[in-house]
Amino acid sequence: MEALAQSIAERAISLVLDAVDVNTVLDQVDLNALLDRVDVNSLVDRVDIEAILNKVDVEDILDRVDLNRLLARVDVNQLLSTVDVNRLVGKVDVPAIVDQVNVNQVVQQVDVNEVMSKVDVNAVVDRVDINSIVEHIDLEGIVEQTDLGSVIAKSSSGIASGVTDALRSRTVGVDEAIARMVARLRRRSYTGPPGPPAGLRATAAS
Amino acid sequence: MTARTGRTTPVPPPAAQEHLQGHYAGFASRFLAFAVDVAIITAVAVLVLAAINFVASIVTGKSTNFNRSDIWVVIAYVAWAFIYFAYWWGLNGKTPGGSLFGVQVLTDDGRDVSGRRAIGRTLAFPLSFLILCLGFLGILLGDRRRALHDVIAGTVVVYAWDARAARLRFLSRSRYSPPPPPPESPGLPGPSS
Repeated sequence: MEALAQSIAERAISLVLDAVDVNTVLDQVDLNALLDRVDVNSLVDRVDIEAILNKVDVEDILDRVDLNRLLARVDVNQLLSTVDVNRLVGKVDVPAIVDQVNVNQVVQQVDVNEVMSKVDVNAVVDRVDINSIVEHIDLEGIVEQTDLGSVIAKSSSGIASGVTDALRSRTVGVDEAIARMVARLRRRSYTGPPGPPAGLRATAAS
Repeated sequence: MTARTGRTTPVPPPAAQEHLQGHYAGFASRFLAFAVDVAIITAVAVLVLAAINFVASIVTGKSTNFNRSDIWVVIAYVAWAFIYFAYWWGLNGKTPGGSLFGVQVLTDDGRDVSGRRAIGRTLAFPLSFLILCLGFLGILLGDRRRALHDVIAGTVVVYAWDARAARLRFLSRSRYSPPPPPPESPGLPGPSS
């Protein structure tokens, strides 16, 4: 009798389930409302995560992961373009890092000769504005106060060079006097000899 | 003139003139350079003429006297002057007179003068004289101090000497010039005696 009732009940349930469209039923279920009623925290509290993690063989998982293949799928440039490098660097305590570095040891390991062999000294020198450096040198002071003056005197102490220098200097003085006089007659201001030509200016600047 | 004699005070190249190199040369420098060149041309011409007269008198046995009244002498003189200026301007832009006064002929954009341009400048040079020397007014009045022949040939004349180096030479000489000889004393024998 009991077995008959059991079979009838199973048959009835089977018929009901066949008649019910489960998807339609699920569509009518408000899953959000259902999840709101679930206390996820208490659920999580009841899960022993440590025990789960202990059962996980991380090494085995990592062994199975093909990192190269994974990284090959990463667009590094796009990734870096989203990184705010300035903000990142701003968070780095550079002095603290530098303090930890033994600079002397690093320098001792550097092959200076090899580094210098890679340096294009000519290119470096070309970028140096030697004229600007020379402008800062008090050549007259050096000549007057050091033995460099005697070297110059020995190399160019001929009477002819002295006479030529004086002759040119006086003639330039006459040039300037004439130019000032002409400028005064023309009621113009005179600020010195004009020039140089554009080609010479370019040569001097390069 | 120099500090060694002690008779006159040497005049150093003024500091204000130290950066004149490459600037357009003034009237006095150019005129004096030209005068020196004319003196050289004339001196050489006179010497050559004297040599020709001497050789001709020996060869012909008669007294020969070519002088400046002879048209061929004048033509030869002008040709010699033409060669002189064209050669030096085409060589480096400096005649001997220009070298003495530190002036140099360049193209109007600052490049070296080519031989063709030097010849053109030499041919145009007499024009500045032929119009009552008005061709030289540009040196006094022009912004680039160009004479008529400069405008025609597309040239300029600039200072080519380094006044700063000259000033350093002056300073070194004034400091390291040899001491003046001691005054002669009748009581001391001279080195040669």
